[in-house]
Amino acid sequence: MTDPSRWHPAALSQDLVPATVIPARCGPHEIALWRSETGALRAWQDRCPHRGMRLSHGFVRGEMLSCIYHGWRYDGEAVCRKIPAHPALEPPSSITVPRFRVAEAGGVIWIASDPGNSAPPEMAEGLRPLRSVPVDRSAAGLRDALGHDVPARLEDGLCVLVQEIDETRSVLHALTSGNVEPKIASRRLESLRRRFEKEPAA
Amino acid sequence: MKDQWYPVAMLSELGRDPVETILMDAPVRVWRDADGTACAATPEGRKLPVTEAYHHLWTSPGAPDRPLFDIPEARQPDRRFVPCGRVRVACSPLRAVENFLDIAHFPFVHTDILGAEPHTEVARYKAEVREDDDEVWATKVEFYQPQAAKSASGGVTTQYMYRVPAPTSSVLYKTSPPRPGEWDVIAIFVQPVTETRCDVWPWMALFDETTPQADLVAFQQMIFVQDRSILENQVPALLPLDPGLETPTRADMTSIAYRRWLKSHGYTYGAQLVAA
Amino acid sequence: MILHDWVLSPNCYKVRLMAALSGQDLTLRAVNLYPEREHLSDEYLALNPAGTLPILEDGDLVLGESAAILAWLGEGWLGQGKAEAARVQAWLSFAERLNATAGRARNIDMLGVPGSLSEAQKGGRACLRELELALSDRRMEGGTFLVGDGPTIADIACFPHVMLAPDGGLTLAPYPSIRLWTRAVRALPGFVEMPGIHRLHELSPEPEMETELR
Repeated sequence: MTDPSRWHPAALSQDLVPATVIPARCGPHEIALWRSETGALRAWQDRCPHRGMRLSHGFVRGEMLSCIYHGWRYDGEAVCRKIPAHPALEPPSSITVPRFRVAEAGGVIWIASDPGNSAPPEMAEGLRPLRSVPVDRSAAGLRDALGHDVPARLEDGLCVLVQEIDETRSVLHALTSGNVEPKIASRRLESLRRRFEKEPAA
Repeated sequence: MKDQWYPVAMLSELGRDPVETILMDAPVRVWRDADGTACAATPEGRKLPVTEAYHHLWTSPGAPDRPLFDIPEARQPDRRFVPCGRVRVACSPLRAVENFLDIAHFPFVHTDILGAEPHTEVARYKAEVREDDDEVWATKVEFYQPQAAKSASGGVTTQYMYRVPAPTSSVLYKTSPPRPGEWDVIAIFVQPVTETRCDVWPWMALFDETTPQADLVAFQQMIFVQDRSILENQVPALLPLDPGLETPTRADMTSIAYRRWLKSHGYTYGAQLVAA
Repeated sequence: MILHDWVLSPNCYKVRLMAALSGQDLTLRAVNLYPEREHLSDEYLALNPAGTLPILEDGDLVLGESAAILAWLGEGWLGQGKAEAARVQAWLSFAERLNATAGRARNIDMLGVPGSLSEAQKGGRACLRELELALSDRRMEGGTFLVGDGPTIADIACFPHVMLAPDGGLTLAPYPSIRLWTRAVRALPGFVEMPGIHRLHELSPEPEMETELR
């Protein structure tokens, strides 16, 4: 059902600070999403090719991402550049991590699994990122309730992007428009979530 | 693997009331009879074979054709014996053993204890399957360690030997800081609960006359629990026995020998045979 | 000061962390809580009838609750003024709820303590959502820690249970503000780790860079 070319909203830009890696998703794929010290953004398969350890548990030094298990270090092109157990060895260039497309616009980070050159959905100007919250409800159920606009505009200046996690779980990435006070908007988002989790899934 | 011996309880915790545990997807009850005999049986009442060894009760869902592997050091009277209890891990029992055989992760997972950057190099060592004993061995292993044991003070290059006498048990020998020339013995006995869950029972036989028992237990619990978040986050959860899915290097020769040995015996509970 | 300690206990770790961050020396006495249940021995029950760890001995003073020990060690970490001090107290109570939910899930899942894992996880998840909202609020105010401008014992009391929640099968992936807060705590000068809580390796230099600098 999932369109492989579709861009998935993965996180708000403000939640991924420089020199950090976080776990993310692109549809069914688990992603290690990371930002280098100078701000370069990458989305890779969340798996070190050495021993299968999740790279989202790793660490960023400078412009490279290292696996927490054995410290294997990957450059911005996802090519292994250092194997600490063999410091003198130049790692074979065949050791790479599968990459995903990643784009950042309007304070939102988007990930796509297809190799095309489409751009992520364009959103209206002037939206301010608020926060992301997990919801125990299917993305389809949320879209039916909220409408299919990207982002869905709700009352009181709250806008949300729906991200599918699995058949029963989603994430709402919320933004605000107008002059709504962020803490008030944050509480509206919480009550929205309570309502969705109470309603039986259709 | 059904016919292997597996640890299911610590002898010190065995009482008259049966305690239920799970071994290879099936419930097993363990207790000690009025006459002092340790017992294991299925909930339906089928008695299972038992062995009491190394402070643990061992049983098997099948019919073992040979006794439990020997650890000769367990008979040396001047060693301290340290059973460390159980740690549950959501990982393949084989991945738990393979991690125990690995030294290259010390600087990153056991930082400033068993290893530290920049001392990350793993020198060439010898790994083999000993056909006569049908065991995997790694010898001449060396690694620089900031604090190799509770009794160690300061950094030292530690010598290691590793031994895999059964698919889910491993014994390591390492330089004993208080007695250079002798080997401390540290083992993990892994109880396969399911193919992706296990109970790990660490056990030690050390030369150390001064460190309190509680410190020795805490040191081993610390080391093992540092590994737990790694073991629960390897993808796939099952250990791949065929090449292709993972990328071994020279530092992984023990793991390569272990995987080959598992495959040659058909020890595949907790393993994945076809590269995905 | 003597801390009667168990290496895998988040409540003991709170005390070790507070002492390390505030530069106070502790003499650690390891207690074989598991598998030997030494904390329930006559000697330990005489010291702390509650039968719990940690226990801190400082001269004649014997304290057996981690929140009380944090108050004793945490001079300068208690919040500025009455309102902050009161908020710190609220978070100390919250830390008890974390202990009874996420902490309980960890004891069940990792150590085989009897109990309902799903109930404990449900309670833990509710606590994490509550904490995420509060920390998101703090970010909107320009704050990093739970109360006031800098770290307090409120952060130290909550941090261990939160970081160890994955040990009890609770994911931290959906909580971005919690993630940033745990990174801020781990970046504090003098930070020490415990099993299950790794240090930030990104704060150490890459060895080859070190060589170049020499």
